[in-house]
Amino acid sequence: MNMNDLPAAPGAASPEVFQQLGLITRQLHDALNQLGIMPKLQQSADGLSDARNRLDYIARKIGEAADKVLTEVELAKQAQADIIGATRCITSVYATDPVRGATDAQVIAYVAQVEAAASRTDNHLTSIMLAQDFHDLTGQAMAKVLSLAVDLEDSLVKLLVRTAPEEQASKAKLGFLSGPLVDPIGRVDVVSNQGEVDDLLASLGF
Amino acid sequence: MSDPTQLKFLVVDDFVTMRRIVLGLLREMGCTNAAEAEDGAVALSMLRKQKFDFVVSDINMPNMTGFDLLAAIQADEKLRHLPVLMVTAEARKEDIIMAVKSGAAGYIVKPFTKATLEEKVTKILQKLAPQSAARDGVKQA
Repeated sequence: MNMNDLPAAPGAASPEVFQQLGLITRQLHDALNQLGIMPKLQQSADGLSDARNRLDYIARKIGEAADKVLTEVELAKQAQADIIGATRCITSVYATDPVRGATDAQVIAYVAQVEAAASRTDNHLTSIMLAQDFHDLTGQAMAKVLSLAVDLEDSLVKLLVRTAPEEQASKAKLGFLSGPLVDPIGRVDVVSNQGEVDDLLASLGF
Repeated sequence: MSDPTQLKFLVVDDFVTMRRIVLGLLREMGCTNAAEAEDGAVALSMLRKQKFDFVVSDINMPNMTGFDLLAAIQADEKLRHLPVLMVTAEARKEDIIMAVKSGAAGYIVKPFTKATLEEKVTKILQKLAPQSAARDGVKQA
């Protein structure tokens, strides 16, 4: 088949174009069969489905882990807040009683240390809480990979339509392809941190 | 309107982890009056039923994206005044420009720190304070 035989108008696909595409597909199918590639493609399609299940599993497990950490952090932060509240209460009692304040200097110092330590622990807990955003970021990155895997699987299943079970084709669906930036190096269309966001906003008069 | 602790926040994100983090940070800022929504459609419904003062929204969500929510807020005369802070993993300059042109009050890219959220909320409220005072004046008149 000569490429020049194809119709010139790209916008209006004629029945001949579809006929030729069908012929090419048939030839490709036969060639792949002769080369023994079809079984390998079948394995790849099955493998993609398996990879999708594994990614789903990872996404579920990291979600559960992040959820558990957040619950524990919220409880621990409440406990720290209670400690800080109690120490402030004790401090205020001593402040109103100078005699006791003078005799219990060690107690006052200890209470102050406890309050400072509780505040530091609370800050660490905030850091742990913020670090759980990995669930959102990795989840979106995985959703993107999943979507690409589904797309690829769909293409393979279509190619294997004569040899693969038909129900596989129904599994293919497209989802979001947007998501967090995984590798900003060498890209000019994206920002890599909040500083660059602020610079861009400033350039827009914000 | 410049004191965030007196405001009611709506946090919109399809990831419950992110909603909990933002709500936790807001609590640390003293903003205890906050609600959450899992997508733009739910958020819009809540905004039309309850009074909110500030929206913190993700962009990439099912049903209704953050951009669509922003457009719906801008199109609604009763909601147009609401500041919308976009907090998202979308790092494309195109998205940031689109958010600003669509009426977003600010843009934070994930991952972010508590200081960044606090700074943005404060800055937005300070910027909107004169408009808010003027609107309150009109209401009283």
